[in-house]
Amino acid sequence: MAIQILIHGFLLSGLYALIAIGFTMIFSVGRVLNLAYGVYIMLGGYTYFMAAQEAGLPVFVSFILALLSGVAFGLLTYELLVRRLENNPVAVEISTLILAVVMQAAIILIFSPSPKSMWPVLRGVLRFEEVSVTANILLATGVSWVVLALLMLFVRRTHLGRAIRAVSMDRRGALISGIDPRNISRVTWGLSGALGAIAGVFFATITQLDPHMWVFPLITAVAVVIVGGIGSILGGLIAAHIIGFLETITTTLIAPELRGVVTMALIIVVLVVMPKGLFGKEEL
Amino acid sequence: MDKTTLKLLGGWLLFGVIMCLLPLVVSTGTLRILIFAHFLAIFAMSWDILSGRTGYISFGHPFLIGIAGYTTAILSFRYGVPIYFSIPAAVAATMVGGTLFFVPALRIRGTYFALVTLAFMEILYQMTKVVAPKVTGGTRGISGIETIVTGAVPNYYLTFAAMFVIGLLLWLLVRTRIGIALSAIQMDEEAVKSAGLNTTKLKLFAFMVSAAVAGIGGAFYVHYLGSIAPRGIFEINFLFTILIAALIGGAGTIVGPIIGAYFLTMLLEFLRPVLPGMERYFLYGIVALVVYVYQPNGIHSLLASARRHLSVGKS
Repeated sequence: MAIQILIHGFLLSGLYALIAIGFTMIFSVGRVLNLAYGVYIMLGGYTYFMAAQEAGLPVFVSFILALLSGVAFGLLTYELLVRRLENNPVAVEISTLILAVVMQAAIILIFSPSPKSMWPVLRGVLRFEEVSVTANILLATGVSWVVLALLMLFVRRTHLGRAIRAVSMDRRGALISGIDPRNISRVTWGLSGALGAIAGVFFATITQLDPHMWVFPLITAVAVVIVGGIGSILGGLIAAHIIGFLETITTTLIAPELRGVVTMALIIVVLVVMPKGLFGKEEL
Repeated sequence: MDKTTLKLLGGWLLFGVIMCLLPLVVSTGTLRILIFAHFLAIFAMSWDILSGRTGYISFGHPFLIGIAGYTTAILSFRYGVPIYFSIPAAVAATMVGGTLFFVPALRIRGTYFALVTLAFMEILYQMTKVVAPKVTGGTRGISGIETIVTGAVPNYYLTFAAMFVIGLLLWLLVRTRIGIALSAIQMDEEAVKSAGLNTTKLKLFAFMVSAAVAGIGGAFYVHYLGSIAPRGIFEINFLFTILIAALIGGAGTIVGPIIGAYFLTMLLEFLRPVLPGMERYFLYGIVALVVYVYQPNGIHSLLASARRHLSVGKS
């Protein structure tokens, strides 16, 4: 039992870290919470479903299409809503929440409200001693870690990545050194959409596709950011593991229905007891 | 009382008279629609007195409404408590729930407060399904709850009276010094504090009023529907409708949420013949989004500026 919790907790946490990172990026660059982030996850899942399962395209092509749908929708959110409301964070949050509900209605229109089950990206089950793990979740965790590592390299080593960090640290300072924060915002929103969509493909294969599926990952992402603290990537990674493990422990030992409750209770406790999060530098 | 207040009170009176005469001319189908508009208006005003005034955005109003609904439903249906006792009990329970909301508001504000309230809602949603399903009815909820009055016309008058009285009282409240202090909190909480006012007490007051209104609305709503289920109450869509009614109408104005509630309910009905199914909610959301992005102060401010233009034209 302990080994099973350890392995499953670790695998789930990798995916949660990926879900959270796309959400955090927007926050650190634009200082707004994007409540439509869950939609990128849902969109990634549904696009992959259409391409791979309905149209019978190869896995890799479907994956790229899912990613592109995330990029497109991320850019659309920025251009249509966020750019117009830039100096009003509360308006951004409310309008992105409305957008999420609109997209939920759109998904219901196209795919009907009933849930759809998605095939695993990779089939097969691996056994380690008495614990069995699906190849799919193993792939999900592997991809998550690779994407996270690439993202780290991108942010630290490339010019564009450094510009993103510069804007997130000091918007005006970045502007003075010749960086256009608008362009950086555009790149970040596109990137965030892509990360959400990638995570969405795997998230949909381990849960299911349904028009309400955007709420849970959004809350998880928010929880990771809040528990880890704003502006701390390492804090985010640790928080993703705390949440992943807490959830695995509750679902295996207590009851599967309580999965979200623990995460939500954690958000409340952290916000009330230590508003800086575990590793944050800033007051929320 | 100054001249403008008297004039506006005349407006309230006129509104009341027109709405009371309405059942003489419109069909019962329209009345049933208006009943929903009245409930929506009550919920939106409850949201407005808390979030529109103080700036503490609540994403968890269904939590408060759900507490009221479940309390009165369980008391009257499971334990046979008469409704004239179970409804006040539900309102009291909602105010206790409002205090739970209040604790995080002592430490955090803005978006983080909104997220905590959303978390409250989700927790209660999961709990009603899992904890004590014999009492709450689990996922299927409770149906066959006693109704207060039957028929479209009596229900219309009942809900209108509730909405009208709540609206008028809240409207008078925001015109007092307390109301002004509450909206000052939204602008600069520190400044209100340094002016020697106790912001904690003021906030607690706003939370209690909001919870009481949500409690009355929630309890009446359940006794009108005759049923309650977790899916219908603790839903993002429900939260979304309340929020949009308040925002589209004009947050912070009390009259705005009433306008918003009528507007949204009418819009939904107007779309019914054109689009019978779920497409309506898609369009509805887009209309809400466009109105919100282009006029964040809502219909109320559009009407106000139109009136100014008209009076300028006259003189």
